[in-house]
Amino acid sequence: MAVKTIVGRLLRAPENFISDAVIDDIREHGLNADRRDFIRKSFAAASAALVSGHAVAAADHPSGAGDPAILTLPKHSTSLGNPVAHLPYGLPSNYESNLQRRESPGLTRKRESSVAFTPLQGLFGIITPSGLHFERHHAGWHDIDPALHRLMINGLVAKPKVYTLGDLMRLPSVSRMHFIECGANTAMDWASPALPSVQYTHGMLSCCEFTGVPLSLLLEDCGIDKRNAKFILAEGADGASLTRTIPIERALDDVIVAWGMNGEMLRPENGYPLRLVVPGAQGVSWVKWLRRIEAGDAPYATREESTQYTDVMPDGLSRQYSLIQECKSVITTPSGGQRLLDKGFYNITGLAWSGRGKIDRVDVSVDGGKNWKTARLESPVLSKCLTRFNIDWVWNGKPAILQSRAIDETGYVQPKLAELRAVRGTRSVYHNNAIQSWRVEAAGEVVNVQIS
Amino acid sequence: MFKFLDRLFLLLCICCVQAQVQVQAQTYPTIGRAATVAEIAAWDSDVRPDFRGLPVGSGSVSQGMKVWEKKCASCHGDFAESPAVFPPLIGGTTNADIERGRAAGLTAVTENSKTTIMKLATVSTLWDYIRRAMPFDAPKSLSVNEVYATTAYLLHLADILPADFTLTEKNIAQAQAKMPNRHGMSIAHGMFDVKGKGDVTSQACMNDCPVNEQSLVVLPTSVNGLNGNLAEQNRSYGLVRGVDTSVKR
Repeated sequence: MAVKTIVGRLLRAPENFISDAVIDDIREHGLNADRRDFIRKSFAAASAALVSGHAVAAADHPSGAGDPAILTLPKHSTSLGNPVAHLPYGLPSNYESNLQRRESPGLTRKRESSVAFTPLQGLFGIITPSGLHFERHHAGWHDIDPALHRLMINGLVAKPKVYTLGDLMRLPSVSRMHFIECGANTAMDWASPALPSVQYTHGMLSCCEFTGVPLSLLLEDCGIDKRNAKFILAEGADGASLTRTIPIERALDDVIVAWGMNGEMLRPENGYPLRLVVPGAQGVSWVKWLRRIEAGDAPYATREESTQYTDVMPDGLSRQYSLIQECKSVITTPSGGQRLLDKGFYNITGLAWSGRGKIDRVDVSVDGGKNWKTARLESPVLSKCLTRFNIDWVWNGKPAILQSRAIDETGYVQPKLAELRAVRGTRSVYHNNAIQSWRVEAAGEVVNVQIS
Repeated sequence: MFKFLDRLFLLLCICCVQAQVQVQAQTYPTIGRAATVAEIAAWDSDVRPDFRGLPVGSGSVSQGMKVWEKKCASCHGDFAESPAVFPPLIGGTTNADIERGRAAGLTAVTENSKTTIMKLATVSTLWDYIRRAMPFDAPKSLSVNEVYATTAYLLHLADILPADFTLTEKNIAQAQAKMPNRHGMSIAHGMFDVKGKGDVTSQACMNDCPVNEQSLVVLPTSVNGLNGNLAEQNRSYGLVRGVDTSVKR
């Protein structure tokens, strides 16, 4: 006779108080008196061993008269709350403080030239809250006085001009949602799994609504020399005065000189008061604290497109100006470093994006890539923008490997890591857009793995 | 007949003129202002591989060594070889590389042991970057001649220039001709153009797809805790929890 299963919410905490072997045994044979007793003792021992900070969570579904969370009226139901404008600029709940931008220790020696990753594991939908947008600076960030900020356009133009923020904001503006991904996102995992959670493997990725004036409008206003101008150089006002080359076709297409981000001004960490938005291109092309655009007839081979952000191929040749972020996706929940509490129904959710256009389809596998089902794409599905996907999953409590695979409107299929390595080798750093694998262990713990 | 053709021609001309008027871009003469020559000179310091933008000046290897020891060595090491703060700048190239223009070491080493000089194809890049962004904590503080001198010193450390060399705008092309990885760059790929074609192709197999179970590689447990306690990086409620990586397992 089938015994009704099982461990249920006992699994929640403390961590690892019963071994995977015992879990498998229980799953196979059900709970008998011996096993109940074993679990009770293990739990007591593990609880006693806890030092601090990991209290056993109260049961969400208690027996008896009912849930104290319902039966005992809380203070917030029986007293006055805070007045309006208590926080003139609102903040997240104190209960949300776990979700923060974080550095990866040891990645860099200078925090002014470093990275802080977006906590993708806890975000919903496609918009990155402004305070959680990933950070990558080359010489630290300043809070620049917008009244003293200038944008200069020079080079192959009839009329080199200088614009203030006031000038730019008078011009016809557009608002568009786009993803931004660092070319080095997922770089550490080229050779083998190296990082424990999606925050660190994929968190140099954000998506916001940007508002600004099309660069094409400014270039036309300055009388761009269309016969000879083949590239533009974008330059920042920070200490690094970071520069990148962009082909003129892109510059005249959908590139924006932006001041707005998610309805307010850019955050200083993200380029306040002016940054370039280059949809589909890697983050370093989205020059922050933008101060100058130069039109020229040849590319510039700046530091960030010579010794950095180039792809060294197996034959030793470096791909220069490889700036398109190709189609990619990742499951954000369940993902590395998370733990499922028990078996049963789960919503697998994740993000897909392509630097070449819209996402056409996302498939999800729960058996390490043997069989795939097509996920639901949530609206909106926009060009060069994150797309949220969801798919139902009933976890049977057995180990499973979760993967997602995105296909964009050009028909490009997100590759397996082995397919990527076959072309680019294992020593590459940038532009790893391979399928990510997360293994769900029998105990519910999710681990970063690679399988081909 | 001719009259008809004349009229047709006239009509076409009018259409063309109209079309031209339509494509003429709107400009905003009252918004923004002309940039002055001095303003452009103050900001436009970029130097291209063809040396467009390179200012007149000069600096010797020995002058560069003095600048280096005072302003650069604390991060990069006395011989620009130190990996202590930033990846090493100099090292890993040979006379054969200088001869051939390709840094052979790029095919043999991991990313972490690549030096800047191995990856660098254009000397203009070095000059431009030192001018705009160095020293790290005091960018744009070097004079044009100091930038020439520092560049000369680095190129000397890489065996590109002799110890008695004075680098100027006139002879910098000689240095370029000896850059160890000068032929090491390629733009023959589809990643520069949004309409370009990717280099990796895959198939969207749906059922009974081939998977090599033996290829499974798992995140090593040795990294546990290196990125902090993941229990504190996830919500403490909801469908999942963060794994407690603060405890030894």
